[in-house]
Amino acid sequence: MTTLTDRYLAATLRAVPAPRREEIATELRAAIADMVDDRVGGGQDPTTAEREVLTELGHPERLAARYADRRLQLIGPAYYLIWQRLLRRLLTVIPGVVGVVAGVAQATVGDNPGGAIGSGITAAFQTAVQIAFWVTLSFAILERTNASLDLPEWNVDQLPEAPVERDIRLPDTCASVAMILLTLAFLPWQHFRSWARDSDDTRIPLLDPALWTSWLPVLAAVLVASVALELVKYRTGRWTWPLVGANALLDLAFAVPLIWLVLTDRLLNPDLVARFDWLRDGGLDVASRVTVVVIVAVTLWDLVDSALKARRSATRTDA
Amino acid sequence: MVNDEVLRTHLQELRRGTVVVASLLALRAPDYGYALLQRLTGHGFPVDANTLYPLLRRLEEQGLLTSEWNTEESRPRKFYRTSTDGETVLARLLDDLAAVQTSVTGLIEGVDR
Repeated sequence: MTTLTDRYLAATLRAVPAPRREEIATELRAAIADMVDDRVGGGQDPTTAEREVLTELGHPERLAARYADRRLQLIGPAYYLIWQRLLRRLLTVIPGVVGVVAGVAQATVGDNPGGAIGSGITAAFQTAVQIAFWVTLSFAILERTNASLDLPEWNVDQLPEAPVERDIRLPDTCASVAMILLTLAFLPWQHFRSWARDSDDTRIPLLDPALWTSWLPVLAAVLVASVALELVKYRTGRWTWPLVGANALLDLAFAVPLIWLVLTDRLLNPDLVARFDWLRDGGLDVASRVTVVVIVAVTLWDLVDSALKARRSATRTDA
Repeated sequence: MVNDEVLRTHLQELRRGTVVVASLLALRAPDYGYALLQRLTGHGFPVDANTLYPLLRRLEEQGLLTSEWNTEESRPRKFYRTSTDGETVLARLLDDLAAVQTSVTGLIEGVDR
């Protein structure tokens, strides 16, 4: 019949290196017997005593780890920081890139634009899981083999620059650039993929096609310049007076021609106006007025906002 | 009011290294695991069995203890004894312990004065 002690010894010895197993077994068995005897001598019944002694010795694998001097941790302090940094670096870039590539491939080569986002997310997630698994596994092995990575010691020169206080944050810049690109994309879209259709079901461009040889290229160029300005602004980190000036110039270069085109009824496609009765019957006037007011308001707000921020950042730098 | 858990960990940290000193000292007279545990406890060094037994083996592997099986008694027991190397290390550890005590005393007096 196997006793609790036998089972405890078996469980412990399983996790101890084989060459030392027998010796540890004999010693541990004697020690357990000594402890049990001591308790029985104190008036305890043998079964309870055995249970209590084994409970006191604790989890067999923990005890075995102490005998084998083995660490009970996946990745210890020696490797933790480099593991964390490596993982963070890899995870911030690779899954995103893979996801975008997979999505684009699905949309173009796979000719399935609808499934692009889904397959992009799936690919990014799978990549992230793979990276996390293999990196962690490698470090867990390093931890167990006690391998020395021979990493250079940390020194003060590695300290990162103190973070610059920035008014222009990355999400804001991304949002602005995305808005501008969407506006830019609207120009060809309204021409080729317009929602408005003629009586014989051909698409009617929203804007006057004649503008393609006059004002639309100018507006497009202003938009491209605006993207460049956003990038410069982000690199600078805050509004400066030259940036305010450039921004005002671009704002006006976009708003003034647009307002003028709206007010002289030259923005919309005449065919579109002819197609929809409500546009002809006064709708166009109302739409024009609302558009002009919105453009003026947005432009003024942008000008004032940039100037205020530039002044605030200038006073802060002086202080 | 000091958190019990905090106090417990600090006491544990403070005591950790002293088990080695106590074992090397006590094993100037050869003894087996459980008897040593009882002697240490009797002298105010309470130590868990699951800490002491692996520690004895480790000290033996480091050459600080020698061991000998005694099969004369009712059950075979492994008797440990502090080796020459163990004595050398013990001397250094005791010096250091004394130095710590001196430093602490000096600090207490320096602050009190």
